[in-house]
Amino acid sequence: MSDPGRAQVDSLGEMPPPEPAAAAPTGLPVGQAKSMFQLGFEVFIQNKLAIVGMVVLVLAVVFCFVGPLFYHTDQVTVNLLTTNLPPGPGHPLGTDETGYDQLGRLMVGGQASLTIGFAAAIIATIVGTVWGAIAGFFGGLVDAVMMRVVDAILSIPILFLLLFIVTIVRPSIPVMIFVLGLTAWLVPARLVRGESLTLRVREYVQAVRVMGGSSWHSVLRHIMPNVIGTVIVNATFQVADAILLIAYLGYLGLGISPPATDWGGMLSNGTAFIFTNYWWLIYPPGILIIVVVVAVNLVGDGLRDSVEVRLQRR
Amino acid sequence: MKKLRTHGGIRKKTFRIFGSIAVVLLALTGCSSGNGSPTATTASGNAPGKSADTATFADPPNTVPNWIWPFSPLANFSVSNSSDLQYLLFRPMYWFGNNGKAEVSDSLSLAAEPVYSNGGKTVTIKLKDYKWSDGTSLTAQNVMFWYNMLKAEKKNYAAYTPGQFPDNIVSVSTPDPKTVVFTTDKAYSQQWFLYNQLSTITPMPDAWDMTAAGTKGDCATNESGCAAVYAYLVAQSKDLPTYATNPLWQVVDGPWKLSKFNADGNITFVPNPTYSGPVKASLKQFIEVPFTTDDAEFQVLRGGNTIDVGYLPTQDLAAAKSATTGPAEAGPNPLSANYQLAPWFLYGVNYFPINFNNPTVGPIFKQLYFRQALQSVVDQPGVLSSAAKNYGVQTTGPVPLYPDSPLISQTEKNNPYPFSIAAAKKYLTDNGWTVNAGGTSVCAKPGTAAGDCGPGIAAGAKLDFNLQYASGQQTITTAMQSLKSNAAQVGITLNITPAPFNTVTGTAIPCSGKTCTWQMGNWGGGWVYAPDYYPTGEVLWETGAGSNSGSYTNPAIDKLIIDTTTQSGTAVMRAYEDALAKDLPVIWQPNYTYSLTEVANGLQGATVQNPYSAINPEEWHY
Repeated sequence: MSDPGRAQVDSLGEMPPPEPAAAAPTGLPVGQAKSMFQLGFEVFIQNKLAIVGMVVLVLAVVFCFVGPLFYHTDQVTVNLLTTNLPPGPGHPLGTDETGYDQLGRLMVGGQASLTIGFAAAIIATIVGTVWGAIAGFFGGLVDAVMMRVVDAILSIPILFLLLFIVTIVRPSIPVMIFVLGLTAWLVPARLVRGESLTLRVREYVQAVRVMGGSSWHSVLRHIMPNVIGTVIVNATFQVADAILLIAYLGYLGLGISPPATDWGGMLSNGTAFIFTNYWWLIYPPGILIIVVVVAVNLVGDGLRDSVEVRLQRR
Repeated sequence: MKKLRTHGGIRKKTFRIFGSIAVVLLALTGCSSGNGSPTATTASGNAPGKSADTATFADPPNTVPNWIWPFSPLANFSVSNSSDLQYLLFRPMYWFGNNGKAEVSDSLSLAAEPVYSNGGKTVTIKLKDYKWSDGTSLTAQNVMFWYNMLKAEKKNYAAYTPGQFPDNIVSVSTPDPKTVVFTTDKAYSQQWFLYNQLSTITPMPDAWDMTAAGTKGDCATNESGCAAVYAYLVAQSKDLPTYATNPLWQVVDGPWKLSKFNADGNITFVPNPTYSGPVKASLKQFIEVPFTTDDAEFQVLRGGNTIDVGYLPTQDLAAAKSATTGPAEAGPNPLSANYQLAPWFLYGVNYFPINFNNPTVGPIFKQLYFRQALQSVVDQPGVLSSAAKNYGVQTTGPVPLYPDSPLISQTEKNNPYPFSIAAAKKYLTDNGWTVNAGGTSVCAKPGTAAGDCGPGIAAGAKLDFNLQYASGQQTITTAMQSLKSNAAQVGITLNITPAPFNTVTGTAIPCSGKTCTWQMGNWGGGWVYAPDYYPTGEVLWETGAGSNSGSYTNPAIDKLIIDTTTQSGTAVMRAYEDALAKDLPVIWQPNYTYSLTEVANGLQGATVQNPYSAINPEEWHY
């Protein structure tokens, strides 16, 4: 290595193992080689908006998943004696039209929205990555067929497709995860396929072939790891998109069935009372949707910068 | 730090979406002037009555007319079809609802009240001098057309009950063009025969006696010729886009003619210049407009310059009115600047049917203890006071509890199955079920002995059901959520799904066999007693009746119903209603005020409303 203080990173993020410190000449200052993760992390924490987004996201997760441990409400049994109460003692954010405590309901609804958002994004990312990597690597007829499938499904408006599916199957959290995941994998598939097309002609991939390595080995060990940056960034946007889509369905009354709920469903219910000024049924879920979606986008921005090689300090 | 925009498309899309949500939220909240506490809204905008010659009427949410021929199958036998379309064009022989009272209207009927003779077995009807819009006179042959059609296609008419009209007619004659004489198989209660038998007749014009365009049929004179006419008229009635242009439907005897018809519910009527009735329309147009939700309707109504007769969604009332007031008494009106509030309560009962013939869950529904358990988790007082803001009354049996009448029995007044989770649990545990509160109860003791689950119910059978309900009305949505929550406390899992009104009514129909798969269906409004104006319920509960949606059958009830048709007085009615209230052929639910009608200030004639749901816009004027 010509410069022991700088890890040599190729343009694709491939990085040779750092030399052991013991091998460095005695008496000279030795810099510890930084991993790609460390470099990326340094870039990420310099992005203040990304940090804000991450903090908001963590707070949202804590609010939704830890909050119910300390703020106990009955989100199953309807109580028609306490409907539409304004914020006050006992109900800091009031109650809804069926008597559910609104603050507790925001926690329960947030659990559904976040769970569906993240889980659907994971499914979409995994399916899309594998699909795109295979299509891009093998090329030819395989690529043509696989990408035409993607094009065909992309040609159907996603909301229409979702509406069609949720009218056939009864909406629940697992169903919504599955449905959203299986309709959101198309974008990552196209992105990964594009990256794969450039990666498959790289020397190290060709070297694998020359040495008799299998195609699957190339896909799994070289193609997919090298598109991981693109995949992670896209996954964050997938989360935001999934949260919005579940909000859309909830708003249209086709979300999760009561007593379960999500923020979109809560917003939909709230708008029925807009003329009676029950603001506590409208603002909180609406604001939470916006804040969390913005936060996820900011984190995505930060991650994109952090995996961008040119921004990493070497 | 320079940022790369490698996924700018995605980011742009996401931010656009989020941005649109923000805009929507701002727009929504901008519509209301919140100050932190729920207050009544005040109307703004111009006063209605944009044109003194036109009245615009808001259809109930998600409820649009879709069947023009008065001979309706059950799937299309709805208030929206009869009251909001058919009655305006084609008048039934007897009109019910007289100046807001639940009685026959002589002035609006096409015939004089029937004369009974021969010990009550001969019924003579004299038609008045009415004309069809094609210039022909209303004659006895028009009545025979309906009668023959009913005889030939009785299975396809929703108000048909086996053994009753026309099965109970021994002979019929038309001694002159204005007289029809029916001879019945036995003497019937005269009130019942008028209110529930003759009331179903709608004379049909000769122009409808066709088997194809330009091909004359002979149903009016020959019952065997009715099948072909029926097929033709059904096909025409299914062709919604042609309603306003089809020459068949332009032949009317009512006060209105169709000018425009859109299948989405936008309908325009114009006066029938040859209408022979006592009050001719003074408006030049009567327009019906549809809404998918009551919120959507209220937004327009609140604007104040489009709808002349609309309705106020109960969720838009800031507070419930006094519980001591009747369902037809008005409380505070948030739109008083432009409208007069005139609550419209119909003479009917509200319920939702359960499908006794469902091959899977039918055996469970046939068990009285299960129906008792399910009825016991319906929190009628809670729904009425919260969601309905005290606009409505409980339903406890087949006779409406409002208005007060001698027909209401003490059993109904006392409610045999009041809301009680504990009682519901006991009904199940006493009959072989392991109740899993919050989960799903299972049958632990299959068998037919006392204390067992009952015939056809296997060990491990679960109380897990699908319930489709009409979307668009917040009151019904809240009531369904309440029911689901209460049922879950005794391990009855109700999978509730919203659907348009016409979808629910089209699904919850009598059926049998493996394809009879619907389980519970709630179109929200139950039944208004029309055209069976006397609440003896034969159309609804008698075995094989056309509107017996759940295929309920009980020979003992059948006999009691038949008794009400042949005997007058309250004793026989109370015997029937007590038995039915206890036997639960359906699940009773709150009977909401049909419409919190808002009538534009200055519009005359619209505040007195028909208790059987008919509208008379020919009597409206500014």
